[in-house]
Amino acid sequence: MTQVQAGQTLLEAKGLSKSFTVKSEGGLFSKRKAVAAVEGVDVSLRAGKILAVVGESGSGKSVLARLLSRIVAPSAGELILNGEVVDLKAHRDLAYAGQVQLVLQDPFAAMNPVRRVGHSLERPLLIHGTPEEQVGPRAHEILESVSLTPPQQYLDRYPHELSGGQLQRINIARALAVDPKVLLADEPISMLDVSVRLGILNLLRSLCDDRNLAIMYITHDIASARYIADEVVVMYAGQIVERSSDTSLIDSPQHPYTQLLIASVPDPSAHGGVAVKAPSGASAAFNIEGCRFSPRCPQALEVCKTNEPPMFEVAPGQTARCWLHATEAQRASVSISDKPIN
Amino acid sequence: MIDRTILEVKNFDVDYGFGEGAVRAVSDVSFSLGASKVLGVAGESGSGKSTLVYGLTRLLRAPGVIVGGEVNFHLSSESAVRTFDILAANEEEIRKIRWSHISIVLQSALSALNPLRRIGREFDEVLRTHDDALSKKQRQERSEELLALVGLRPDRLKRFPHELSGGQRQRIMIAMALALRPELVIMDEPTTALDVVTQREIVSELAELRRQLGFAMIFITHDLSLLVELADDIMVMYAGQIVERAPAQELHDAPRHPYTLGLMNSFPPLHGTRVELQGIPGSPPDLKALPTGCPFSPRCDFAMDKCHQERPPLTLDAGTEHSVACWLHDPSFTGSVPVQLTKRAPQRAGGSR
Repeated sequence: MTQVQAGQTLLEAKGLSKSFTVKSEGGLFSKRKAVAAVEGVDVSLRAGKILAVVGESGSGKSVLARLLSRIVAPSAGELILNGEVVDLKAHRDLAYAGQVQLVLQDPFAAMNPVRRVGHSLERPLLIHGTPEEQVGPRAHEILESVSLTPPQQYLDRYPHELSGGQLQRINIARALAVDPKVLLADEPISMLDVSVRLGILNLLRSLCDDRNLAIMYITHDIASARYIADEVVVMYAGQIVERSSDTSLIDSPQHPYTQLLIASVPDPSAHGGVAVKAPSGASAAFNIEGCRFSPRCPQALEVCKTNEPPMFEVAPGQTARCWLHATEAQRASVSISDKPIN
Repeated sequence: MIDRTILEVKNFDVDYGFGEGAVRAVSDVSFSLGASKVLGVAGESGSGKSTLVYGLTRLLRAPGVIVGGEVNFHLSSESAVRTFDILAANEEEIRKIRWSHISIVLQSALSALNPLRRIGREFDEVLRTHDDALSKKQRQERSEELLALVGLRPDRLKRFPHELSGGQRQRIMIAMALALRPELVIMDEPTTALDVVTQREIVSELAELRRQLGFAMIFITHDLSLLVELADDIMVMYAGQIVERAPAQELHDAPRHPYTLGLMNSFPPLHGTRVELQGIPGSPPDLKALPTGCPFSPRCDFAMDKCHQERPPLTLDAGTEHSVACWLHDPSFTGSVPVQLTKRAPQRAGGSR
């Protein structure tokens, strides 16, 4: 395999969408409707870079990870791996799985409880064609790469004998066993004890740097995204609402949702309670006209109710899906009125 | 508001299991709580923070056993203050105290609500069980009033739990906990399963409710930064013991126990320059095989010989409200205390604005 250059795009998604059909309220014979869990998402995962995807539950961030790992087939859009368009009609083959690996949130549920750790680590190696005599040494090697030493001590254990932090390291080790180019980490620290979370984040960072891995780090914890990521995107109701090519969107958020998200994080340096008036009640609205955040947005304009905003550049390398950042002319071109509604 | 103590806990011990195989989950915990105060309890999983409150409210189930200590609850019913010995009370007496004087909100509202019942029926049952003088109409009105208190529309009473969002369900649990105007509400990680925006809403609602109703609160969470905003006092637990207790802001500005410091540095800051943080080395303690001496000593950067031999007692720093269980702060310690753990420590690295 050719050597990858740092910064080279390894996996790219263009206009990726997934809708699920759900029963609408109103009884047995009511019409089914489609909910767009992920809609028109463009992301590029680059070698040696960590992209953080931040969003609350229901924002579609986990569905995005499953689409990229091809566990779930997209409704629309395309995936480009190493510059080649992936045939999404075909089944996911071993070659794809060998390059794009997924690490899940719950380390306890991700391991077979009745098998020793060694079994769970060696299986992917065998499936992906590692010669049998090399499997043992390779398993040792990958455990060492996630700082679990001596490896034999872990290979012989059952999952219940290990702590959450150790198991999550093993999960990461297992994902790395087949030497993937892209690692998708779906909330890898949210189930772990506070004191071991940084250890996992530091591990992801060093794996990314040492192996030129492209990592997508999915989280609801925006402070951890700031800590580890090179680039950040914020998702709301299935769409990317703000993105920056560094972490600048966390330091100067421009989309009202990102602002709300950051103002909501407990901040001990502001004792006495910050006065955030979070517009309560409404959960994320998927099937509405206009901006999906508009029902909760304190700054919503008339145009937000009727027209879905495109991404506007708000600073160099930072874009936000919000009409507030459009020019008068841009707003006028889609709507007759832009008076504030509240 | 009168400055009085409503809850006093002395040398409280809880085990899981009996005899040889017993594991001490809460060990020698003593604290008191003032009326209308908020006590935050911080700790990781296995620190004994939930077991402590289950024990205090006698909700502990086998194999959990309360093996020692005293829990006195000073209730203010019928104009006079009456002391109620929670551990000596029988099941019937406890039942009367629960909900009307002490109520509890659990982490998972979904599993706390019966999935087959509409919300209204749950409210109705609580009110009927504890006050049979109320008519059906009064109960309905009271239920609607309670929902309004937490910002929910009255039509939510007709809903089933699965029809509500996580935040709405947790609000329902809070409204139910407040149904009988208790003096003490215990919150066991009420916002852990919620996203930050909803957490922020609920926390500000709680502050408002406390201002209106004046109940005391024990708030359990692993999120120390949330407690700094919310609590008057914070108690940090590790391996079943209290390792530090101090007024919230003081604990944040100048933590004195190495574990508290480590916990604080485990949250990457939202402001300032990005620096590499280390968290706490090692794994959380295994209660079945605790080391001799200080339980934190194997993970502690500052551990001395004495720490591996003898367990430090929780000692109140004279003239302050700050207690810490660490040999570095013991009067017998003659060396110099590491600068991070001194009384006026600088703000944590990278945390400056």
